[in-house]
Amino acid sequence: MAVEMEVPTQTTPEVGGMGHSVKRKEDPRFIRGAGRYIDDVVLPGMLWLDIVRSPYAHATIKGIDASAALKIPGVLAVITGADLEKAGLHWMPTLANDKQMVLPTDTVMYQSQEVAAVVATDRYTAADGVAAVVVDYEPLPVIVDPFKAMEAGAQVLRPDREDRPNNHIWHWESGDRDATDRALESAAVRVSQRMHIPRIHVASIETCGCIADWDAIRGQMTLHMTSQAPHAIRTVLALVSGLPEHNIRVKTYDIGGGFGGKVPVYPGYVLAVVASLTVGKPVKWIEDRSENLQADSFARDYHIHAEMGATADGRITSLKVRTLADHGYTDAAADPSKFPAGLFNVITGSYDFPDAFVEVDGVYTNKPPGGVAYRCSFRVTEAVHAIERMVDILAHQIGKDPAQLRMENFIQPEQFPYKTPTGWEYDSGDYGKALKLAMEMIGYDDLRREQAEKRERGQLMGIGISSFTEIVGAGPSHQFDILGLKMFDSCEIRVHPTGKVLARIGVQTQGQGHETTFAQIIAEELGFPVADIKIEYGDTDTAPYGLGTYASRSTPVAGAATAMASRKIREKARHLAAHLLEANPDDLEWTNGKFSVKGSPDRSKTIQEIAFAAYTNHPQGMEAGLEAVDYYDPPNLTFPFGSYICVVDIERSTGEIKIRRFVAVDDCGNIINPMIVNGQIHGGLTMGLAPALYEQITYDENGNNLAGTFMDYLLPTAVETPAWELGKTITPSPHHPIGAKGVGESATVGAPPAIANAVVDALWHLGVRNIDIPITPPKVWAILQEKGVAT
Amino acid sequence: MQFSGKVDIKAPREKVFAFVTDPQQVGQCGPGVESIEVIDETHFKARAKVGVGFIRAKFVMDMELVEAVAPERAVIRARGQAPGSAVDATGTMTLSQGADAGATVMDWQADLTISGTIASLGGRMIEGTANKLIGQAFDCIRSRLEG
Repeated sequence: MAVEMEVPTQTTPEVGGMGHSVKRKEDPRFIRGAGRYIDDVVLPGMLWLDIVRSPYAHATIKGIDASAALKIPGVLAVITGADLEKAGLHWMPTLANDKQMVLPTDTVMYQSQEVAAVVATDRYTAADGVAAVVVDYEPLPVIVDPFKAMEAGAQVLRPDREDRPNNHIWHWESGDRDATDRALESAAVRVSQRMHIPRIHVASIETCGCIADWDAIRGQMTLHMTSQAPHAIRTVLALVSGLPEHNIRVKTYDIGGGFGGKVPVYPGYVLAVVASLTVGKPVKWIEDRSENLQADSFARDYHIHAEMGATADGRITSLKVRTLADHGYTDAAADPSKFPAGLFNVITGSYDFPDAFVEVDGVYTNKPPGGVAYRCSFRVTEAVHAIERMVDILAHQIGKDPAQLRMENFIQPEQFPYKTPTGWEYDSGDYGKALKLAMEMIGYDDLRREQAEKRERGQLMGIGISSFTEIVGAGPSHQFDILGLKMFDSCEIRVHPTGKVLARIGVQTQGQGHETTFAQIIAEELGFPVADIKIEYGDTDTAPYGLGTYASRSTPVAGAATAMASRKIREKARHLAAHLLEANPDDLEWTNGKFSVKGSPDRSKTIQEIAFAAYTNHPQGMEAGLEAVDYYDPPNLTFPFGSYICVVDIERSTGEIKIRRFVAVDDCGNIINPMIVNGQIHGGLTMGLAPALYEQITYDENGNNLAGTFMDYLLPTAVETPAWELGKTITPSPHHPIGAKGVGESATVGAPPAIANAVVDALWHLGVRNIDIPITPPKVWAILQEKGVAT
Repeated sequence: MQFSGKVDIKAPREKVFAFVTDPQQVGQCGPGVESIEVIDETHFKARAKVGVGFIRAKFVMDMELVEAVAPERAVIRARGQAPGSAVDATGTMTLSQGADAGATVMDWQADLTISGTIASLGGRMIEGTANKLIGQAFDCIRSRLEG
């Protein structure tokens, strides 16, 4: 259910520019089952690769015996770390400038780590070959707990990193430690809380996979794959393999969910490339579900200690946060290189206070590498959870309504651009307006009255708020790069003579609807109908260079490039129109897809007429054609925000949490397609519900991943998902060409603390201050038992 | 995982000790054992088929009699692998004179580490299954000695 809000439009529905709920160009193929995913691709002579994985979380490899596997008819090759070592390919760099094994030569570091690869004529034979490879392991002690990894005398997990003794990868801090300490010491009220944001998995329905196709005659490597960042993959592959970059083509297909998990380079990709180079045929590798859940990069796993200072009446003065980040055996986080803890220092949130200090320490353990930005734009989910929980704890502690306390601490609209104590400059916002709308939509005051009455009768009902600020659109090149590649993005537009448009973008779509929304940006800027515009992406031989789709950066960065490229075309069109109308370019004005002479609106040329002239009647001295390229380097990040309110009822006999209502008011700046934005928010809210109540990767004391199937790794289905109620405010970004901010991750970031706050709100009067997510029925039931209120 | 128990066996200690230190005999009582291959006096190899829930795996186990103090104590260590899974186990048996003449009390402890696919996918069922299989193994030892 959505509150229909008037989204301003400047174009007709037929043109379908910004603000129109244009139906998605992608959907005809998806709803007909005609999408094409990597596993649908079959090449002539294609072989299969499957991977031998370690049963141990930490062990020495004493030997690998492939003889039985090689005797199986159809098994062609078994690749080991020793084979790769000869070519120097047994290690590869991670996106965080650490090192990751492609295959181990002597030690395995986590359960399900790749140990060897089998190449065979079909998928089943490859699996039989995997079962026949005998690996002789000598188990080593396992470190699962990051706090134990940091203890003096703990076993050093990465002896190869002499620069990183004691399993400590890095220390990162932001803000003013001394000023924050002083502010906390002098604060009338101080609240502190430990919380764990557990390790979770992106769990995209399509697992990872690729086909490496080496054409020895042409010297061409084509990597067909499912990736959120094909150009970055091409460059990394060129650097790792030594193949010339112009002879590498990375090509993506429809993507069955990315969410950050398809940004990193996994060993399977390198193995498929090595196998294809070795045998000279296409080699396909597709993960199965358990491999995907156990071995791919995870997200989160932050152990946070937060302390907040405030005046007696609840004006926040200071925040200090200490965090241990469990990165597994290598730091493979897909964070910008200057930000090892991502944008975690956006942790001051939507609130105006002077002093903050944040520190994060990264730690090695015997777990898979990570962590990826799982729909969280670089650690913002962890930050938002911490600040929104702390604000609620403060409110409850001093007996003030959490909505009122937020209203009194919000950064006010006139304070933007607002400089935070950790150095960010928020572009725009009206936080009070969004919270007020959410409170009206849900009937906040009535709910508080109902809660008080129910509490009298012993019923447990809670109301939770989350007034989050996101930080997306990475990013400005002076601050943002991954492996040195600056985080600009790009668009190339060609207008054909008949007024049809081909545009290629540097970002990948994996469900966001780029084929539609990027066409709408061009429609808005140039007046071509959306139906006449084709958007292409995901083929590095044709698309302009871009850093890919993650961290809600497509619209803020590539969307801006698309608007800027359109404006370059419009400027050339002005000169063409001036030629056609025999007028001075400065005397023309642009309205509704045409240039007309000021004061003589009937003397005009449509963009289609101008496009035709660009190829048939261009003036002497002007280049023919009508095309433009833009590489956009954003001047700042964008800061979408919102206020969510969740109402829960807790079943006293079972500890079950029922989400009765959930209102989500989002502000993502100017809106390109309201229907797609609503869809993004629906999906994002469900992905926020998941870690709040269900998802967690757990390990036993030997490092075994206990969440290797969807039986044990719980994802919410339609049954668990409440009916989301959406509302909107629009506060444009002042620095973005079309005033848009990005929305893909807002709901995933904002939802978990609203749910957690609602559950704690229901139980605070019993003495409950915090429950770590996921808040499962057994956790709640144990609390109800302990407090003597279970029935 | 640690398990322990006590079995009363109506057989003299020397006979029980001889049984549990003879690979061919004690091996027959191992869970799912299909074949035993004796390598030397203290080493043998066992092939066993074990299932946890819906997962079934064929293990190749290297067994070693690491301690044998006749007739009171024997320790067997086992390490084995199935595709994607591994087991490390130590079983300690302490034999004492039973209440009746010619009877033996066997106190046993088993320390079991399961790794890989079986631990990961069978996680919730492992402890119950392991407990059951170990219990069956010691019941087997008793019934063979008493039979």
